[in-house]
Amino acid sequence: MKRKASRCLKPHTRQLKDFLANGCRSNLGAPLRAEPSIFGARVERAAEMLPLVRPRPGRAAPLRRLCRRLLSSAQTPPPPSSPRSISNRTSPLLLLLSARPSPFRAGGSGPASRAAGGAWRGVSSCARARAVGVGDEAASSSPSAGYDFSSPYLSVRIRCRKEDAEVLSEALLCFGATSVSVDDIAAAGNLDEISITSTFAHGEDVGSSVSNAASSAGLEYSPVYETSVGKQCDWVSVVQETYESTKVIDGLWVIPKWRTPPDPQAINIIINPGLAFGTGEHPTTKLCLLLLRETIEGGEHFLDYGTGTGVLGIAALKMGAVLSTGIDIDPQAVTSACENMMLNGIGSDKMLVYLVPTNAQTACFPSNIDESEENKSTSDLELKSSRGSYDVVAANILLNPLLELVEDIVGYAKPGGIVAVSGILTEQVPKVEEAYSRYLENISVLEIGGWACLRGSRRA
Amino acid sequence: MATLKDAVARKPVLATIRLIVPAGAARPAPPVGPALGFYRLNLMAFCKDFNARTQKYKAETPMQVTLTAYKDSTFEFVVKSPSVAWFLKKAAGVETASGRPGHAVVSSLTLRHVFKIAKLKQADPFCKHMPLDALCKSIIGTANSMGIEIVKDMGN
Repeated sequence: MKRKASRCLKPHTRQLKDFLANGCRSNLGAPLRAEPSIFGARVERAAEMLPLVRPRPGRAAPLRRLCRRLLSSAQTPPPPSSPRSISNRTSPLLLLLSARPSPFRAGGSGPASRAAGGAWRGVSSCARARAVGVGDEAASSSPSAGYDFSSPYLSVRIRCRKEDAEVLSEALLCFGATSVSVDDIAAAGNLDEISITSTFAHGEDVGSSVSNAASSAGLEYSPVYETSVGKQCDWVSVVQETYESTKVIDGLWVIPKWRTPPDPQAINIIINPGLAFGTGEHPTTKLCLLLLRETIEGGEHFLDYGTGTGVLGIAALKMGAVLSTGIDIDPQAVTSACENMMLNGIGSDKMLVYLVPTNAQTACFPSNIDESEENKSTSDLELKSSRGSYDVVAANILLNPLLELVEDIVGYAKPGGIVAVSGILTEQVPKVEEAYSRYLENISVLEIGGWACLRGSRRA
Repeated sequence: MATLKDAVARKPVLATIRLIVPAGAARPAPPVGPALGFYRLNLMAFCKDFNARTQKYKAETPMQVTLTAYKDSTFEFVVKSPSVAWFLKKAAGVETASGRPGHAVVSSLTLRHVFKIAKLKQADPFCKHMPLDALCKSIIGTANSMGIEIVKDMGN
């Protein structure tokens, strides 16, 4: 049986390798080509998993069909039910194959390279939970959809002499490490040797990187190291625990979902921080919330451009706005915003969240969790037709997008409507002011802690 | 953002983390995620801060970041320019340096390139005090170790 499986699988190994190699860095091709047997063995194991779901005579056939179906469906959003209906064991495969269409951000290494390792590394509960998220990522054309939460990274603990730690960590970075952490040297006391921790992308040749780094740093000895595989889920939940309730101003708090509000009388916005931006702690979020407090009197339509966790949209509703819309290019943000809506008891009649493509032009795709097919096309038109009708528009993003998307952002506001932009440092304000003064009048700038928020009203 | 020198004197340091992050594109995924998450630092705050500060650089250039994490879960970081090796590779137009430096030459650059790279590096907070010729010499040394030949004339 084993012989038959490996014979059937070879063409598909090539297929998989090809489309992985196409999107990956050049040096990733090397390990794949050098060790085809390992790759083959992994594909074999995957194919063994498939028959458990769909018993068929030929083991390779389901794999091939799965490849083709996912590649062809890469551009259209896969129906949300399909990843959930397939059993846990195939979800790693989906992660592997659906990671391909999303362009590779250099935040680490290409997701496919991590997914290749991740797919075969057993199934954690994260893989199951995230299959839906990754399916969305494959669907969107946004380049920011590069997370792959169940894929592992390599964590390497290296022991070296105290005085060599600095030089060695610099050298490691040059030879392929994605990060190097050195625990406080003073705390090491009288020990001669300390440990440094380094992370590598999965699939990197740690041994040669370490030895190259050691010789480049001028160490006469070869440092001892041990490699372990880390999974994303571990640290995501750890960091989440550190979030505290934040008071923005008297009577306005932002609370993480597992904490109780210290002041039940105040306006409390409950947020599940997750991986989207907007926990309420950052000065820019506070600036925007303060601005909302000033401008929202009741009955407004509010647009949150770059919604993140949806904190601004939810705050506007709690302060009296009648309708909030949140748009973002990151599917992670859209998921987070929808979840936070539900945490605050806001239904989709009061708040809408849309996922927009990165070029932020005409077409928009709504992705409310409870969407139904017939609403899709009407929602596209709804967002387009709502241009020029919002009373308040807030955009808390970054300098460059703000400069590029001036017309888009201002276009959503009605003449005389308030437009507020943030996410800019104090030194970046002049540039933003220059770009926006064509479209806004009565410009004023508010600052907290080096960050600024610029607001104005749209010229008629 | 206080200078690292005062910071170290003030608060107990937990760890020093070095990262390479593409400009304007920090995300909670690796390399940022595991490295900062391990020390329970606020990932999103770092990402937002880093992205805002690197807006002036060309997107996706790999910036070197040195973070100092304190025992009270706060942190400070310094953004430095990309490594000399990266500049050299870009100037020479090669993807990877030579596998056998000293024997196999991958590409060649002129002193003009070296000078430009040295000027860029001098803008770094940590290299301001170094004289330009010392910077040039160290760049030439790096180039030799990568198999990139430096032609000693100010060509274009």
